[in-house]
Amino acid sequence: MGIKIREVKDMSEIWRAAILDSFNRFLGKVLTFLPNLLAMITILIIGFLIAWIVKMILVHFLKALQFDKVSEQWGLTRLLSQGGVAYSPASLLGRFFYWIIVLITLILGINALEVAATQNLVTQFFNFLPHLFAALGILVIGYLIGIFLGQAALIAAVNAGMDSAKVLSRSIRWFIIILSLTMALYHLGIAERVIVAAFSITFGGIVLALAIAFGWGGREFARDFLERLYRKKGKEGEGKDHISHI
Amino acid sequence: MEQPSFPVQLRQIRETELLIGIPSYNNARTVGHVVRAVMAGLAKYFPKARAVLINSDGGSTDGTQEEVRRVQIEDYKTILTSHPVHPIHKIVTPYHGIPGKGSAFRTIFEAAKSLKAKACVVVDSDLRSITPEWVELLLRPIYEEGFDYVAPLYARHKFDGTITNSIVYPLSRALYGKRVRQPIGGDFGFSGKLAEFYLTKEVWETDVARFGIDIWMTTLAIAEGYKVCQSYLGAKIHDAKDPGSDLGPMFTQVVSSVFSLMKEYEKVWRTVKTSESVPTYGFHYEVGLEPVLVHVERMIGNFRLGVKDLTEIWRRVLLPETLRWLESVGQLSDEAFSFPQDLWVRIVYDFAIAYDKGSVHRGHLLKSMIPLYLGRVASFVKENMDSSAVEVEKRIESLCNAFEEMKPYLLERWE
Repeated sequence: MGIKIREVKDMSEIWRAAILDSFNRFLGKVLTFLPNLLAMITILIIGFLIAWIVKMILVHFLKALQFDKVSEQWGLTRLLSQGGVAYSPASLLGRFFYWIIVLITLILGINALEVAATQNLVTQFFNFLPHLFAALGILVIGYLIGIFLGQAALIAAVNAGMDSAKVLSRSIRWFIIILSLTMALYHLGIAERVIVAAFSITFGGIVLALAIAFGWGGREFARDFLERLYRKKGKEGEGKDHISHI
Repeated sequence: MEQPSFPVQLRQIRETELLIGIPSYNNARTVGHVVRAVMAGLAKYFPKARAVLINSDGGSTDGTQEEVRRVQIEDYKTILTSHPVHPIHKIVTPYHGIPGKGSAFRTIFEAAKSLKAKACVVVDSDLRSITPEWVELLLRPIYEEGFDYVAPLYARHKFDGTITNSIVYPLSRALYGKRVRQPIGGDFGFSGKLAEFYLTKEVWETDVARFGIDIWMTTLAIAEGYKVCQSYLGAKIHDAKDPGSDLGPMFTQVVSSVFSLMKEYEKVWRTVKTSESVPTYGFHYEVGLEPVLVHVERMIGNFRLGVKDLTEIWRRVLLPETLRWLESVGQLSDEAFSFPQDLWVRIVYDFAIAYDKGSVHRGHLLKSMIPLYLGRVASFVKENMDSSAVEVEKRIESLCNAFEEMKPYLLERWE
């Protein structure tokens, strides 16, 4: 009987110790985690503040440089309004950098929690960021160049009296945009081989199709076209206006 | 014998009263006649004045510079005059800078400043119709009458000078208030004082240095308040290399010069309400002019192609009602084709505003204006095919009045 009472007393001690132990471990983890949590909150507050300040400075700077006027000239404003974006290009760029800084802040904040699962993710994200910026830069520049050269080709073709001016202009514009998109995706490392193969096959296929169509299927047309061109060059002196424009 | 350098030659001459400048580039066939006419004009009308002739050449390879040096008047009696008291100094020099007339003129202005010239003249080196009287008509108003700028006034074919007649003259007149009939004539007189003023402007790397120099000189002389007049010179026949060619660069450079100057002299043209005539010298006489060939159908075709394909760009420049009006003109048949002058005035003003705002790339903006210009020219030629020169001049006067009456439209839309 005495042994049974001692056993009961031992069990209740163990039970009490287990509960206290568990509670102490939990408290220890909370006390270890709390500074990290506070660090995360501090990082978030400072990060949001910096993002807001950078946005304000950038928008003012771009407005002083007349960035919106230049964007209108390059057709960017029109593209944005067609896409349903109500913000001006300067404002949009300011917001873009605001959210980039906020994203970086969130990543840093998560990193401050020192949770093992997110450590790798943070490293990979920061490694990927320069590629992302470069790809976006390629896309934007490629789009602007495509628009500019497409417009230049349209006007030159109209002034040269070409009926297919719009077709030529659109072809040039889309070729440059698609090329930029391909380069951006290649730079991001997204299915590189697939992208290069797809672009080569598509572009090569179009050129081959045109060559076959023009050289074989349109050989009579090609002959007529060249003959007309030759005759037109010969008659060019007779065909010019004889007024002096100035 | 190697010639001394240009600055050395100027230092040797030190000073002059009259300076004649002849810009050139591969004009060996015609420059001899121009130089002889100038020398005869100086001997006949300014025999006692000291004079310098400067050929500012763009690197000719056909012997232009040698021809200028070689040419003399062998016997002054054949032109009913005698040797001038002072020998006419001749300087042949290459010019530096962007290839174009403007760079050649800059060299001439620098010489005028260096030599403290009182009165100067520039004449084209491909003129076939220049006479000694041109020298008197361009120099005397400056040398004796106190003017600063003499613009030429030529007898031209009714369809010649379409950029001048449809854009530059009516627009300049409405903006600056002076009726200088041919502001981009090519042959001018100007005072040494005005030449020095031109040199203070940094325009020599722009379109002004190419086709824009003439309108730039005229506009500055008027807008800056210099005394301006014009002289009737008769017919201008020159050695046009390729008639109707190079319209694109010529058009864009001239029109861009006009539009750029609008920004610079906004304060001046905003206050001008009407225009007035400028004093005109010279004896007006009729000249026979050869008929010219104009392909109206091709111009109308170019215009229609512009309406079909360039509306996307024009939409950013023109008001919606102007664009609708333009589209209705584009639907007219060749026989019924007519480009109203009010529509044309609106278009010119709208393009000037768009150029200032920069809402479309400026080079593209001006090139996209060419089909509209060709449409207007085609309509003008059609309407005046059987008209006399006097009747055509009345229509141009009507266009000028339209530009002046619609100036409030420009003022309202300009920032």
